[in-house]
Amino acid sequence: MQLDFERLFDALPSPYMVLDAKLNYITVNAEYERVTMRPAGEYPGRFVFEMFPNEGESGRRLRDSFERVLATGQSDSIAYLPYDIPRPPELGGGMERRFWTCHHTPILDDDGVVRFIVQNTVDVTEVVRLTEAATIPFSATAGATRLLERAREVEEQRKALLAESDEFRRLFQQAPGFFAVLSGPEHVFTFANDAYVRLVGGRNVTGRPIREALPDIAGQGFYEMLDEVYTTGRSTGGEAMRVVLQRHPNEAPEEVFLDFSYDAICDRDGDITGVFVQGMDRTEAVRTQQRQRLLLDELNHRVKNTLATVQSIASQTLRSARDLASARSDFEARILALSKAHNLLSAQEWESTRLAEVLASEFSVYDAARISVEGPPVTLTPKASISLALVVHELVTNAAKYGALSEAGGAVRVRWRLEEGDGPLVLEWTERGGPPATAPERRGFGSRMIGAIVAGELGGSFEPAYDPAGFSCRIVVSADAVMKG
Amino acid sequence: MAPNDVPPGLAVFVVEDEALVALNLESMLDDLGCRVVGPAMRFDRAQAMIDEGVEADVAILDVNIGGRSVFDLAVQIRERGIPILFATGYGRGGIPGEWQHRPILQKPYTERDVGRAIREALAGAERTGD
Repeated sequence: MQLDFERLFDALPSPYMVLDAKLNYITVNAEYERVTMRPAGEYPGRFVFEMFPNEGESGRRLRDSFERVLATGQSDSIAYLPYDIPRPPELGGGMERRFWTCHHTPILDDDGVVRFIVQNTVDVTEVVRLTEAATIPFSATAGATRLLERAREVEEQRKALLAESDEFRRLFQQAPGFFAVLSGPEHVFTFANDAYVRLVGGRNVTGRPIREALPDIAGQGFYEMLDEVYTTGRSTGGEAMRVVLQRHPNEAPEEVFLDFSYDAICDRDGDITGVFVQGMDRTEAVRTQQRQRLLLDELNHRVKNTLATVQSIASQTLRSARDLASARSDFEARILALSKAHNLLSAQEWESTRLAEVLASEFSVYDAARISVEGPPVTLTPKASISLALVVHELVTNAAKYGALSEAGGAVRVRWRLEEGDGPLVLEWTERGGPPATAPERRGFGSRMIGAIVAGELGGSFEPAYDPAGFSCRIVVSADAVMKG
Repeated sequence: MAPNDVPPGLAVFVVEDEALVALNLESMLDDLGCRVVGPAMRFDRAQAMIDEGVEADVAILDVNIGGRSVFDLAVQIRERGIPILFATGYGRGGIPGEWQHRPILQKPYTERDVGRAIREALAGAERTGD
């Protein structure tokens, strides 16, 4: 005898319907027709959510369930689903509140692809109403009520779990640290969060083995570390480890520094199924550290050099001093001149000083009427600033002790110019109105220092002249001590 | 010879870009009984002296001359068979590997340090034959 499956389907005492893979109705049975209050002829070819629209959470849950079936080829159930359906106009129209239990079964083709979904849905509205009216004991439905309450609990629990895992996924996705999950011996990316994707320059890594997804890190030891973790299960990682990434095909490779760890992922049996990658991009911190290291080295170097200069001033001052008292005041004055030059440089962040400022700083204690300073703007390198400040200090000190500034009425005139076309700086120093100048019998430290700085260090010349009218000198400084006008 | 002594009349080629430091080193070398060749305080001046065939028994080189590294000069001075020692504010970390075994004067240094470093440079030169 031939069994007529269509008749059998129609005769089933429970509501059934069949959807295709696009969620369009193929057919519904008589019981389905009855509980949904719509004629069976309306269904075929119509989209399920067109027939029963629901923009709320219930609609989303139903859609998710269908999609799980399509994606996995496995059955899926919703134990408890509030879902309103339209009421036919002859029964008053509008929407009617209903509660359902749904079971979705896939029908696969020969290749294992889901072609149809069979839904068995049971209208449990009456039971729910009874539960809601549970103040009245109703022995006939007591068992059904308990079953339904259990179903509701299970469904609530599942929803909570889903929400929780969604929440975790979002947390991982947006975490500031980078995370990725690699699966299998080829380390196929099954998850990479936003920070990870940013780290690798926005490349799409998901679903690809690491050697194919990130070929630029070949030869840097990371594939091998992953292989090791996958084989042995031993965690590994690195701190501030240098990685060179080719983030974009047409740009230069970039150097980054990462803190990271690789940990094996195990299944319930303890077998390793993949590697969990997590870490932080430390590039900025490492760069800052490197800059600080350089600055510290440079500071240390400058301090050592300055100490060597101070040592020389102390030693040379003591060697040439007539007595301890004059040694002390000469030494203090020279250190002060050095300190003032540092102040001027510090004000310009150790980049330069202006010659006029260097002179003004040394002349500051004298009556401005006795000093005349004139020349074009000249900017000095840091080294030349310190050196010329010491030279000017010696000249001013000499003028105060033996020259024009040692007597009332004496005056100092300073004129300078820059020779044409990157030529040297020429400075003329003239003292008038003081005692006659005579060449010293013994060359003191001051004049030795001026000679060494101007001729040796600044590649120029120092020409003193001792006249009855007063001391004068001409100082020539090579152009490389001068930065610009 | 006393422990601090260096051979009398030793010719010392000095390359140092800080005039004050160079002056002080000159005084120390005077006290040690050495004869100062230079001092060259600028890179081009030091290069000119080497080109003119500078004669010296030992060379004291500041590693940074007006912002330029002294090691280009050091190679030429070594070629002339003059033992070298370096003066630096950076310490041994600022010396390239090739020159690491040379004596180093860490700034600031004393006359005793200078004497010791010169003796080391001379002894090292005898051992290696350069």
